[in-house]
Amino acid sequence: MIYFILRRTFQSVLTVLGVVTFTFFLVRLAGDPTALLLPVEASDEDIARLRAALGLDQSWIVQYWKFLANAVSGDFGVSLRQRTPALDLVLERLPATLELALTSFVLGMVLAFGIGLAMRLSTSARLRSAVLWLALARQAIPVFSFGLILILIFSVWLRWLPSLGRGSLAHLVLPSLTLATYELALYLRLFNASLNAEQSQDYVRTAYSKGQSRTKVIVAHMLPNALLPLITVAGINLGLLLGGTVVTETVFSWPGVGRLVVQSVSQRDYPVIVAGVFIISLTFVLVNLIVDIIYAYLDPRVRLS
Amino acid sequence: MRSGLSASLALALILLFVVLILVAVVPLLPGYDPFSQNLASSLLTPGEASIEGQLYLLGSDALGRDVLSRLALAGRISLFIGFSAVALSLAIGVVLGLIAGFFRGWIENLIMGIADLQLSIPRVLLLIAIAAIVGTGVLNLAILLGLTSWVVYGRVARAMALSLREREFVLSATTQGATSAWNIRKHLLPNVLPQMLIVGSYELGQIIVLEASLSYLGLGVQPPMPSWGLMVSEGQTYLELDPWLSLLPSVALFMLVAGVQILSQSLTAENDMSAEIVKVQ
Repeated sequence: MIYFILRRTFQSVLTVLGVVTFTFFLVRLAGDPTALLLPVEASDEDIARLRAALGLDQSWIVQYWKFLANAVSGDFGVSLRQRTPALDLVLERLPATLELALTSFVLGMVLAFGIGLAMRLSTSARLRSAVLWLALARQAIPVFSFGLILILIFSVWLRWLPSLGRGSLAHLVLPSLTLATYELALYLRLFNASLNAEQSQDYVRTAYSKGQSRTKVIVAHMLPNALLPLITVAGINLGLLLGGTVVTETVFSWPGVGRLVVQSVSQRDYPVIVAGVFIISLTFVLVNLIVDIIYAYLDPRVRLS
Repeated sequence: MRSGLSASLALALILLFVVLILVAVVPLLPGYDPFSQNLASSLLTPGEASIEGQLYLLGSDALGRDVLSRLALAGRISLFIGFSAVALSLAIGVVLGLIAGFFRGWIENLIMGIADLQLSIPRVLLLIAIAAIVGTGVLNLAILLGLTSWVVYGRVARAMALSLREREFVLSATTQGATSAWNIRKHLLPNVLPQMLIVGSYELGQIIVLEASLSYLGLGVQPPMPSWGLMVSEGQTYLELDPWLSLLPSVALFMLVAGVQILSQSLTAENDMSAEIVKVQ
């Protein structure tokens, strides 16, 4: 187990290194930032001086090394617009994004577990198929459309909930519902599929032949096995969730990292974009690492392979 | 189960048929004009006629442009981006996946390493970051979505190549002097292609949603070109009084995506997502 954790941690470090390298090339692709920083009438000497100050006159290898060293120490440069360190701007917004993502994640999981289990315990095939169709329909509605429909119903027509910004618990309801229902739809369908797969297993037949009740077989025997794939996909899906927060944050003017990055794109504020991509990827890699470790703990086959 | 499957297939075909009418027939109608602005007839409700007596079947937007025409053109753009991105990513994914699975060794590690790396950045964010630098627009978007979506195909193609390369027909060809390139082209490719097309059909819906999301964020299709995502965002300002401006493109998007999704689902052998779990792993 320790060996597994070490190996996965090493992989994660490599991945983060890869992300930093990727962003380095991205920034270099963006071209010379001096044109953006200096006024049009700047002289050639001014440009040369700024290039030297930014280290742009050095070779790529030196630049890459410096970029790496700076990134490791959390220095992504200064926001071109706000003149404050880019990382600080991003970290300031991180709690809002995590709040939204975690609330949606937990809400989606709990609802999926509850509804999925109830669906399985109920004997009505019609109910089950209705729920699965609803889930399929929800999956076909993009996050921004669904968010707007929620705003239309609950803010514009019913006037129950605020549609913009962050603050009270009421502000959290619509954005997290938007994301959670998407998760819910995916998990419900997965949960149902993996319960279906367990149903035909020998151990289930054995349990039934021992005379155990349907409820007991489902809850005590099938459930633990059916949850494993759900956990894996939930882990992978966190990336989708973090991507989804970018759009959701824009729909609801939620002051998170995603919205900051989108705004920085229109302002061509590259240091902030890079810091934002780095922080979200880092979060994602960390979460995946934790999910993998939990998974290996639950399923010994994973850590031994 | 069989009747359930054919019922859902029928539903998918109906949804896609409506979208097809929208993108194929509407541009042939006499009043079709997605661009001309007329401030005198802005924000007309669906079915309302302008002062000049022209009927706006689905209303007009804030600049007085015909919503139906814009929906139709946006649909064409969406489908163009969707199909070209799927074709591009499928081609890249199959080639890289087969190379990785057939040759193994360092090249496999390299390709799969890049795939893992790409998966470690949420796709929307990755696209935003690249779009910020190389710029947006219809063609850029198609290429960008194509270049960043190959991983699914790559993984499935590699997994299939791993087992195919040990099969008798490949081994016997090798002993008779077949080159690797010939083997990949003649023996591996035909065997993985059907599976790839199924993955592609699933991806088409995802890509269309991605395009719409990017356009919604203002980082995709650029005005005055219409895109369903962009139209939703343009309509958001008028949500209170003219909600159809955002709702109509949402409905169009839903019909296309739901239709594609149900269709791709009925393509897979059974209505079973456990196959997809394996794919993801």
